[in-house]
Amino acid sequence: MNPNINNNAPTYAHVSGIKWVVCEIIDHLWPWNKEGWRQHKAIETAGMALAIAATVAWLLAANRQLGASAVIGWWLGWSIYEIIIRMQCKPYIKDGPWWRHNYRPASRMDMFCYVMFKNLLIGVILFSVLRNLGLLQMVD
Amino acid sequence: MTPNYELSSCTNIHMKVPPLSVAHSTIHLINRFMVLIAWCLIFSLGFSAKAQAEDEKDADYNTHGRHATATHSGSYEAPLPVELSTDPDLCAYVPCSDVFPNADYFSSRKGRPAYVEAYRSKKVEDKENGHHTQDESRVLLGYVFLSTDIVDIPAYSGKPVVTLMGMDVSGKIVGVKVLKHSEPILLVGIPERELTKFIKQFVGKHAWDKLEIGKARAEGGYIGIDAISGATVTVISENQVVMRCAYEIAKQVGIIKAVPRPQAEFTSISEQRNWDELLAEGSIQHLTVSPADVGLDNTSQPYIDLYFGYLNAPAIGRSILGERNYAGLMAELKPNEHAVFIVANGAASFKGSGFVRGGIYDRIQVSQDMDSFTFRDTDYRNLYNIQAVGAPEFNESGIFIIRSASFSAAYPWSLVFLGNKMDRQTGTKTFANFDREYWLQSRYLQGGRPVIIKSDPVWLKIWKSRIKEIVGFISILIFTATIYARRDNLVRRSNRKDKRWVSIPKYAIWMTSIGFIGFGLMAQPSITQVLTWFHSMLFQWKWELFLSDPFIFIFWLFIILTVFVWGRGLFCGWMCPFGSLTELLYKIAEKVGLKRFQFIPSNAVHERLKWLKYGIFLVLLIVSFFSMGLAEKLAEVEPFKTTFLVGLFNRSWPYTLFTATLLGLSLFTERPFCKYLCPLGAALAMPTTFRWFGLKRKQECTSCTACAKGCGSQAIDHKGVIDHRECLLCLDCMVLYYDDHACPPLSKERKLRTLSGLPLTRISAGGYYIPIHPINEKGVDK
Ligand code: SF4
Ligand code: SF4
Repeated sequence: MNPNINNNAPTYAHVSGIKWVVCEIIDHLWPWNKEGWRQHKAIETAGMALAIAATVAWLLAANRQLGASAVIGWWLGWSIYEIIIRMQCKPYIKDGPWWRHNYRPASRMDMFCYVMFKNLLIGVILFSVLRNLGLLQMVD
Repeated sequence: MTPNYELSSCTNIHMKVPPLSVAHSTIHLINRFMVLIAWCLIFSLGFSAKAQAEDEKDADYNTHGRHATATHSGSYEAPLPVELSTDPDLCAYVPCSDVFPNADYFSSRKGRPAYVEAYRSKKVEDKENGHHTQDESRVLLGYVFLSTDIVDIPAYSGKPVVTLMGMDVSGKIVGVKVLKHSEPILLVGIPERELTKFIKQFVGKHAWDKLEIGKARAEGGYIGIDAISGATVTVISENQVVMRCAYEIAKQVGIIKAVPRPQAEFTSISEQRNWDELLAEGSIQHLTVSPADVGLDNTSQPYIDLYFGYLNAPAIGRSILGERNYAGLMAELKPNEHAVFIVANGAASFKGSGFVRGGIYDRIQVSQDMDSFTFRDTDYRNLYNIQAVGAPEFNESGIFIIRSASFSAAYPWSLVFLGNKMDRQTGTKTFANFDREYWLQSRYLQGGRPVIIKSDPVWLKIWKSRIKEIVGFISILIFTATIYARRDNLVRRSNRKDKRWVSIPKYAIWMTSIGFIGFGLMAQPSITQVLTWFHSMLFQWKWELFLSDPFIFIFWLFIILTVFVWGRGLFCGWMCPFGSLTELLYKIAEKVGLKRFQFIPSNAVHERLKWLKYGIFLVLLIVSFFSMGLAEKLAEVEPFKTTFLVGLFNRSWPYTLFTATLLGLSLFTERPFCKYLCPLGAALAMPTTFRWFGLKRKQECTSCTACAKGCGSQAIDHKGVIDHRECLLCLDCMVLYYDDHACPPLSKERKLRTLSGLPLTRISAGGYYIPIHPINEKGVDK
């Protein structure tokens, strides 16, 4: 038990089964929430713009119009933004085994590690898909 | 001690942070510590440059040496002239006389693959005038050739070791010189003289000799040559490069005679098949090369998309050519002649744009085992259309005839597309082979496919040759994981004064790790491997690259698994050879009377310095995207190579001083490198954020600082929260957690129970005595 864990869990923490899995996936992919939107409109708007830019970067890459380094640059920029916005909107991370429903309040370092690691995995999956489709210029 | 806190509710605890009072002596210690850390940093930044300067000095010295003795110095990523791979005058760009000292004249490039002839001018004495004159005639002494003209065998770095070789007319190797390599281990880990020693072993060997790394095998006539320990992959690939090149050239110039292979006898199956069926059964093979494979920008079409098949087999020949053309072709072929069709689409041409009549097709060849077969214009026949139903349209097509008894369709062979890969940074082109294997289906061969014993891939050879050590290593890993998984048992048996149950297995594992894993197997994981993983995940995953070092591969599987299950602490705290060495030094120093000099940095200092390692890791990661070579040099901030791979006193003094400083500092404070500098520790700490199973805490931990005081890693904060990124799982706090004489709340409960005459029940997983519930006569809990 961690005595310092308070009830900073997401609202879906108590649902179970497949619904919880879907909520988890959405939570990993969607860093905003309504409350955060009301409180931090400017930062959220900038974030939305950055999200669109990052998506466009991936789409360009899928159209063979953007090299690997440019995609990495965009992805890094997006990740830094995601850390900031998650600290405002969803300041928690999973605690303990991933299949359990325990969450803890995230410190900045927790959030940094979480976002970087998650986005690395997403990046690897997207890179592999593009590469296997022969769409991304992969000169290391 | 009165706890210094106030509770406002069960869940919200507001701590009064104790005022930071630092005694004078502590300040003195901190200052001393800071100065030492600063020195370490200055060294870590400065010594790379210094070491490089030393290497350059070595290179200058060695250029005065002759061929194999001192030929490779300064060859790490040495710039080679762009014309080297294309200009006919090879010896204008590379020092051919270094590998053939007796020759004074070298021809231009000849043959395919290319070589140059080495001559000595005949000197005749002009008796009348009493001086030497040069005769027109020259004596052929042998051949000089460049590895990248002949083979495309990557070494550990994934790039070839560019090697120049000399061989005399009898097939004896007379000189070997490494012109360029990209092997990081030879740059920063292993002194260059080791490579000198290694390549010297080829001199005097013959092109047909079977050389193997390690001890000579009794059977098969193998000659053993010594490896460079720690650079197994490099030496295995360099052995292949030298011997394969010598064999190819010796065969081409007629020193090695072609050995006939037993020819294939075809079955009578001759029913025609369509394109897709032929493709599905493997009678047509497909080879694609993308623009990126040859260093060009990807476009919508492949560089070359090529299909090929063996036409002599009646079923295949008839399907592709039709009955009449097949009969015509077979009537034209003499015994031991074989026809292969090739069709292709794509940006490039397999016939080659530089092809001239009477010349050689320089983009394709067929290889079988050690033999390769090239095609001249007389070996070419037009292929106007493909009869097989469903065959797509192709830009280019042709039939090529192999005229050699050494080729047999009964055995596997490969079609090789010979490309040039352009290095985007330097513009230099290097030779790159792309091949696809072809083996006639057994249904077309009388008696089926012959049994052949394929030689194992390089990585498998390495695994097989070290199987005993691998088993030992895996056993140690399993033992460690099992011990740690049983930690609850061990810490319950221990107490603050007697931690034998934890420390005996841990010390045993440390010693094994230092002796066997570190010094013996040289399997100290490094941040450079993490960087390579990153790049491989994003760019191109090559299993061979990771499998080539079995211990590092297995260790990383273990590390990844345990980091997610328990956090970095199991590796860092129990298994890392360098980490174990530094903590062992600290413990030894404590035992031999240095305890009074030992110190723990203040929390304020620790809280700032601990971020340094994350900074170092991120800098290395970012630099690696621009230059892996530079990142590898900067990764020398890890003293691992100096400690385990090369030896403390085998390197230039800045490396030695840096490592010695860290080891010296470790006598006085616990694991300074791990806590503040190690980029590998930082890289593992980050995913530790999501470890599944952490350490236990109880409610009172928020105010009681007993565990925090005993935590050598300073991983417990003033609120009693364990920072699992910093925790090295020493288990000291877990011993305390269950110790009813040391854990303040537990001890208090023990005293209360003793006073009230209540029994001391077992301590639960929550860290308290199991509550006593009075039960009534029926045994029901009241
Ligand atoms: S921090 Fe680095 S040196 Fe220390 S134990 Fe971990 S990996 Fe080894
Ligand atoms: S005392 Fe506890 S928190 Fe500190 S390093 Fe050891 S196991 Fe980790």
